[in-house]
Amino acid sequence: MKKLITLLITLPSFLITLNSCGEADEQQQEWSVSGEGISIEGAWARPASEGRMSAAYFLITNFEDEDDRLIGVRSDVARMVEIHESYEGENDMMGMREVPEIELPANETVRFEQGGLHIMLIQATRQLAEGDTFELTLEFENSGEQTIEVPIRN
Amino acid sequence: MRFTIITSLIILAAILLSACSEPALDDYSDVSYELIDQNGETVTFPDDFEGSPLVVGFIYTHCPDICSFITANVGKVYNEMDNPGDTKFLLVTFDPDRDTPEVLKSYAAAFEMDREPFRFLTGDPDTIDDFMRRVSVRTQESYTRDMDDGERLYFLSHSDKILLIDQNSRLIFDYGGSMTPVNIIIEDLEKLGP
Ligand SMILES: [Cu+2]
Repeated sequence: MKKLITLLITLPSFLITLNSCGEADEQQQEWSVSGEGISIEGAWARPASEGRMSAAYFLITNFEDEDDRLIGVRSDVARMVEIHESYEGENDMMGMREVPEIELPANETVRFEQGGLHIMLIQATRQLAEGDTFELTLEFENSGEQTIEVPIRN
Repeated sequence: MRFTIITSLIILAAILLSACSEPALDDYSDVSYELIDQNGETVTFPDDFEGSPLVVGFIYTHCPDICSFITANVGKVYNEMDNPGDTKFLLVTFDPDRDTPEVLKSYAAAFEMDREPFRFLTGDPDTIDDFMRRVSVRTQESYTRDMDDGERLYFLSHSDKILLIDQNSRLIFDYGGSMTPVNIIIEDLEKLGP
């Protein structure tokens, strides 16, 4: 069954200023979509040279009436691929930690974005330059797996 | 009598002038840190930058989320300024053991910032330690990963900072590095004048 959900995504201003405004606008339209199952939109990752770190970001929308869960990520683009979140700790320090799984409540969007949830790519297995893409497989508890193409950009 | 009038005028002028400029949070003209840039060239902070306003971010290259954000923000300040003039943009690592000039160079290239007016700086660990203490950038090992080849990767919790320093090496503003909108930094820079 195909359903329509209007997603009103208000980007925090820091995200808008960070990306070029045009891009942010385009994505905002793209995200007000209908869909079914688990939908992954707006994926991108930072450039990195071989052996270095990168992070990937996207929005996951669960169009199902049942909650789901992101339980794993994998890719041959890095030696280790983990679900991470950045958080503010003691003394105003920012840290990051691994998150074993992410709840995907029914009919909601979960944002992987800078300064928050990200897919951590530890030691890239090749050069990731602007314009390149790589495949990332996401594993869901109820909906199986999905492989997406992630473009590299700044 | 005449002396008193002139003195009063000078004092008055000084008061008026100081009211126009931003009060400094700190003054770095009493320090001198010998650092190395991404090309292996020695750079002395702040002496080599006297006369230029400075935007300074603090990063380590093993951090692809927050620190990429800080680095991109510093790049964006330059790209979006109408008239950057003499302003210099520095990214200083607090992980000098791993962030060698070569590592910083490829990191800078990934952000298309391996060029003037950007400098990516590292140094010997003691110097970096002193520098970070002076600018109140704190770091702490947060978590580690053992790679299958036996390498132990560590990650750091750290202060999230961008500093604005004026032409006379005085600290004018201290921003949350990843969260401060770029246009606010640009406005503050423009207040410093040419
Ligand atoms: Cu991470």
